[in-house]
Amino acid sequence: MTADAHRLVDHLFRERSGQMVAWLTRIFGPAHLDLVEEVVQDTLVKALQQWPFTGVPQNPAGWLFQVARNGALDVLRRRSSFRDRADTIARELTRSAERLQRHDWRIDDLIQDDEVQMIFLCCHPALSRDAQAALSLKTVGGFSVQEIARAFLTSDTTVAQRLVRAKRQLRAANATFELPSGEDLGLRLEAVLEVIYLLFNEGYAARDGDALVRDDMCREALRLARVVAASAVATPAAHALTALLAFQSARLPARVDDEGDVVLLDEQDRSRWDARLIAMGFAHLERSAAGAVMTPYHVQAAIAAAHARATAPGDTPWPTILRLYDDLLALQPSPVVALNRIVAIWKVRGLDSAEHELQALEDTTRLNTYYLLPAVKGRLLAARGEVERAREAFDAALQLPCSEPEKRLLRRLRERLGCRV
Amino acid sequence: MPKFMLLLHDNVDGFAAMSPEQMQKVIEKYVTWGDRLRSSGVMHDGQKLTDEPGRVIRSKGGEVRVTDGPYSETKEVLGGYYTINAGSYDDAIAVARTCPHLEYGGTIEVRQVDAMGGE
Repeated sequence: MTADAHRLVDHLFRERSGQMVAWLTRIFGPAHLDLVEEVVQDTLVKALQQWPFTGVPQNPAGWLFQVARNGALDVLRRRSSFRDRADTIARELTRSAERLQRHDWRIDDLIQDDEVQMIFLCCHPALSRDAQAALSLKTVGGFSVQEIARAFLTSDTTVAQRLVRAKRQLRAANATFELPSGEDLGLRLEAVLEVIYLLFNEGYAARDGDALVRDDMCREALRLARVVAASAVATPAAHALTALLAFQSARLPARVDDEGDVVLLDEQDRSRWDARLIAMGFAHLERSAAGAVMTPYHVQAAIAAAHARATAPGDTPWPTILRLYDDLLALQPSPVVALNRIVAIWKVRGLDSAEHELQALEDTTRLNTYYLLPAVKGRLLAARGEVERAREAFDAALQLPCSEPEKRLLRRLRERLGCRV
Repeated sequence: MPKFMLLLHDNVDGFAAMSPEQMQKVIEKYVTWGDRLRSSGVMHDGQKLTDEPGRVIRSKGGEVRVTDGPYSETKEVLGGYYTINAGSYDDAIAVARTCPHLEYGGTIEVRQVDAMGGE
């Protein structure tokens, strides 16, 4: 055993597993994804059996890729189905494994194209959004079926079936590992960005359940966004999304208190915001400004940036944020955006304007089952000092479908009015 | 100080179903455990054995016969071993009890190395 054992970087197995799956899928072809996943799982099991005795090797990634190569060559020898392609596959396995070995300090760079193509494959139009998301997490993200199920608050069986179906659909569609070309490339990239956005939001949403795996999903979404943004096919929108996710991720540590309860933005301990991620956000925000296209990701990133810039709640540039919400509402008319905009109106133009807008929203849309509307109303009434009506609004919100952490937040807001629970 | 061998029998089925993240956590536990024993001078050596069942060599009636190892029919395989320094069987068992192996359905066989008065 080595005297000073090497330490494993956090999530190394997950990341390397995703990279190995991408690498081997390129070589074997998407039709053999099951086989590829098996080879990668066996590789990790080998590390699990060996490293407790020998310690972590000096170059864990190099070790894993080498063992995966041997496992893949073994499969080629055992299975006759590859007979006509076996030589080509074996040559490419050896060639690329040697290349990774020789340049092992930059495996991440060398494997990046494979990873990007793998994400694009997972977002094939033959698959539903949910299937695209699950398959991305499983293959590129190195999440297990159980972890995906916990992250999406669904059952193992549902996820397992979704994955089986997705792989079958990829085979049926004759999906290739090559990136689509022409117009299809742009469409596929849009799907990729949407899936990454979905993964992040699923992890970020205030819900009970396994907080750890949900934070991990946010981290993985940011990682995927960065991989795509660093690739040759990156667009300003990809940078905008990466900026948005970096800003949001920066706030993750401050977003819930020790009891797992939601902490409102105004009340967060801003010293717990991750400065490194905020800097990353600004770097990508700058690169997102190239070109003339303005996507909802751009506007949301700009809003997140405005919050990130404020070192105290009082420094928040609300007029800027309100203008951005105006833009966002035009690009993406949704109740959530409208309600967030009303909060900005309150901060800029005062309570009367905000209540007026809220009334207009109540009259023009059918939001009577959406808890956030009475919740915002309650906050406006509370600010006005109308305790009784505010309490009624929070009670109304609590009657509507919302998650447990959201319910706890509403109860806390109601308690602050001086009422008993 | 007497030496003891900890022979680690794996339950292979348990590993195959783990997620990459879980596997990494398991390895980290073993590594932390090994580091602690090494820094306190308890750990002497550790080796992983290869996965195949190995060979058993017997002599019967003057004829030497080689057969496949004893584990081919069972789910538990001898995965590897550690050699540790311990004052007594009780001490060695106390060390083995802290081994993460037990958390993952494995079995540990503890045997004292017979120094024949040489130590």
